[in-house]
Amino acid sequence: MTTAVADRAHGDEQHGHHGPAKGLTRWLFTTNHKDIGTLYLVFSLIMFFVGGSMALVVRSELFTPGLQFVHPEFFNQMTTMHALVMIFGAVMPAFVGLANWMIPMMIGAPDMALPRMNNWSFWILPVAFSILLSTLFMPGGAPAGGWTMYPPLVLQTGDAFPFLIFSVHLMGLSSIMGAINVIVTILNMRTENMSLLKMPMFVWTWLITAYLLIAVMPVLAGAVTMLLTDQFFGTSFFLAAGGGDPVMFQHIFWFFGHPEVYIMILPAFGIVSEIIPTFARKPLFGHDSMVYAASSIAFLSFIVWAHHMFTVGMPLTGQLFFMFATMLIAVPTGVKVFNWAATMWRGSMTFETPMLFSLAFLFLFTIGGFSGLMLAIVPADIQYHDSYFVVAHFHYVLVPGAIFGIMAAVYYWLPKWTGTMYNETLGKWHFWLSTIFVNVTFFPMHFLGLAGMPRRIPDYATQFADFNSVASVGAIGFGLSQLLFAWVILQCVRRNGDAATNEVWDNPKGLEWTVPSPAPYHTFDEPPQVSSQAAFS
Amino acid sequence: MDDGHDRRQRIRRTALLCGVVALFFYLGFILLGVIRS
Repeated sequence: MTTAVADRAHGDEQHGHHGPAKGLTRWLFTTNHKDIGTLYLVFSLIMFFVGGSMALVVRSELFTPGLQFVHPEFFNQMTTMHALVMIFGAVMPAFVGLANWMIPMMIGAPDMALPRMNNWSFWILPVAFSILLSTLFMPGGAPAGGWTMYPPLVLQTGDAFPFLIFSVHLMGLSSIMGAINVIVTILNMRTENMSLLKMPMFVWTWLITAYLLIAVMPVLAGAVTMLLTDQFFGTSFFLAAGGGDPVMFQHIFWFFGHPEVYIMILPAFGIVSEIIPTFARKPLFGHDSMVYAASSIAFLSFIVWAHHMFTVGMPLTGQLFFMFATMLIAVPTGVKVFNWAATMWRGSMTFETPMLFSLAFLFLFTIGGFSGLMLAIVPADIQYHDSYFVVAHFHYVLVPGAIFGIMAAVYYWLPKWTGTMYNETLGKWHFWLSTIFVNVTFFPMHFLGLAGMPRRIPDYATQFADFNSVASVGAIGFGLSQLLFAWVILQCVRRNGDAATNEVWDNPKGLEWTVPSPAPYHTFDEPPQVSSQAAFS
Repeated sequence: MDDGHDRRQRIRRTALLCGVVALFFYLGFILLGVIRS
């Protein structure tokens, strides 16, 4: 545990620093990690509401059997765009925003190692999403073949196709540049005495995530480049008629796609590993084993991709390998879950909003993990494949998993960012409404899937009506609850609340709590001194 | 502690290495596609 910190950074004025530039140029040309973190977080919140609105179109259509509000073609566009926007526009940028804000402060660095590239990585994103969202207004509409972009279906996309490919390339480029920055910063900018194994878990999980990003985002880019050349330049990578293999696209896509799942969950593991010790008032149980577990999960994520495609056919040995490799992930994941539980054991726990979200994460992500284990079993998966059970599974992983992790982080660090405590009562309302509605939305989908309802359909047989109505009510409730989240953040940003202390919480560990609240524009003039004894979370 | 110059060199080297790895995966998988089709 920490650690004496001798040098506290002071306000800008005391060191004669220049503050931020004024007006729009501050945000356009900024190289400051806190500004860029804020840009990422604001962008991801906007995308969260855009993607959420698309989900509500889907759930409204599915409220009752029959076609009510939208044409089936538009329904397919909504499911596809919802996924692309939420994955690449909301969840990933939110984690990059948190990394930008927190990693330099947690390792005692003055900024990210490559600040100008940092500015580029952010500003590519609004361009990418403007291009992607503009396809909604094109002849033929937006992409509608699913976020997985399987050929030959995706090649039937209208005018939107090249825009989809270009925007995916841009998103990949942004992610790769962001990941390079994270790796370079962590490896080269740590303060004295902070060895790798003493880094906070959030920093560790982000380092591993960045390695995953470097390895797999180019694979996605390669796959969509080949789609582009198949469509426009006469190649036949994936066209059976020309000697290509559409199943090869699935292999390449999921070689990216499965590590992508961990890209979206590992930073949340890091966040929870920061929050639980603070509110249990105990050091994180098994810090080093958490590092090894996260590394093992990352390694295993590269050798399980074909569990997404058991039904396309593969040799029995292939099925067995991917089934057992997938099940193996439960071991390091279990290590993490038990370590979090052991951290809380006999802790002096309190239940502020970040802790509540972390606990919900623990329980509900585990539900998603267990349904993942069910899906890993080949004969069972052949039944569950392409059903609502899969939709339930990955939404449990991504909503009360990744998104609750992000929300926990926002509540935990918002007072440090803004210098103002959020409204705890409203925070708890937001938590309880979100937790209730997320279960009302996604739990019935398990039953729908087990009863045989296929995914990605705008209409369904009447026996699925009741659970669909329940899920739709839950989705609307969950969506409306998020307005409360935006309100709480807005109040904090407007400094409408109690002033936050430097430590914010009760004796939290880590360098970020040694700087004033709000964190000054430039932190750590001098590298902070830390003791050589112990880890930081 | 390294001095500033050494640190900048290390930062450049690490960033370059990451970029090369990313390019390797991008071109490598396209090459795989070429070989398999």
